[in-house]
Amino acid sequence: MSDQPVPPAAPPSAPETPAPARSEGHGHGGGGGGGRRPEGGHSSGPRREGGGPGGPGGGPGGPRRGGKRQYFRKKKVCRFCVDHVDFIDYKKVDMLQPFVQERGKILPRRMTGTCSRHQRWLGEAIKRARNIALLPFATEL
Amino acid sequence: MDERVYDLIFICRPATPEDEVNKIVTTLEHSVAEHGGKIEKMERWGTRRLAYRVAKHREGFFVYMVVKSTQGDLIKELERRLKVSDPVIKYQTIRLDEELKRQQKLSKHRERRASRRPRKQAPGAPPAPAPPQPQQVPAAAAE
Repeated sequence: MSDQPVPPAAPPSAPETPAPARSEGHGHGGGGGGGRRPEGGHSSGPRREGGGPGGPGGGPGGPRRGGKRQYFRKKKVCRFCVDHVDFIDYKKVDMLQPFVQERGKILPRRMTGTCSRHQRWLGEAIKRARNIALLPFATEL
Repeated sequence: MDERVYDLIFICRPATPEDEVNKIVTTLEHSVAEHGGKIEKMERWGTRRLAYRVAKHREGFFVYMVVKSTQGDLIKELERRLKVSDPVIKYQTIRLDEELKRQQKLSKHRERRASRRPRKQAPGAPPAPAPPQPQQVPAAAAE
C-alpha cells in the first residue's frame, strides 16, 4: 500500500534514482494489479458469496496472486462418503445430531458438505427420528 | 409375498411398571406368532428423555424390536394393539427391508470395486489392459 503514493511523487524526486527505480518496479506491479483486481473482486464477489467481499477485501491480494479463486475455502467432503456409509440409521441419534441445528432444523448441504445422496438419506433418517421423539421438531423453551 | 423387515419402536409412560411393559411385549409376541412372523430382535432402551413432550411426558420408556413378516396385516394388528394399550404413548413402525437391500447392494458393489481397484492402479494404464491381468492371475493361482 505504501508503494502506491510513491509513484506519483517519484517524478519530482527524479534525482534520487535508486529509490524511484525500486518503487516504480513495485508500483507498476501493484498499481496494475490493483486496477484490475478490485473490478474482478467487485463483479465476482457479490455473485459468488453474498457477505464475503467486505471482510476479505483487504486481504485477497495473496489469494488473487495465486490464482483466479479469490476466497479460498477448503472443499468440504461428505462425511458419510468418507466413512462409506450405506445406510443412515435413524436410531443413532448421536450420528444425526451434528446435522441438526440446536432448535431442530436440518442443516443445509452447503453448511455440512454432505453429498446429495447422503443428504437425502439423512433427511429421511432425521424425520423418522423426529417422529419417535428422538429428535425435536422444534425445541419448545 | 416376500418377507419384510420392520422396525417397531414404542414408548411407554415413564411410570409404567416393568410388568406392564412385559405384558405388552408378550401380547405383541403372541400376535406376531399368530401371523407367522418372527421377532428378530428385542431391545429395551429404558427410560430416555423425549425430544419433545408427548402426552405431557418429557421422558419415556423405549422398547425397540425388529419384526420379520410376510403379512402386512401383522403390522396392522400390532399397531392396533399398541394403540389400545394405555401405557403406550407413542409408537412407530418402519419398513426397512428395501433399505437393507439397497445397503447390501451398495456394500457389495463397493467391495467389488475395491477388489478391482488395486489391479487398475498397478499398470496405471487405460482400463482395457487391466481385465486380462486378473484373468491371468487366477489361472496362475489355479495351476
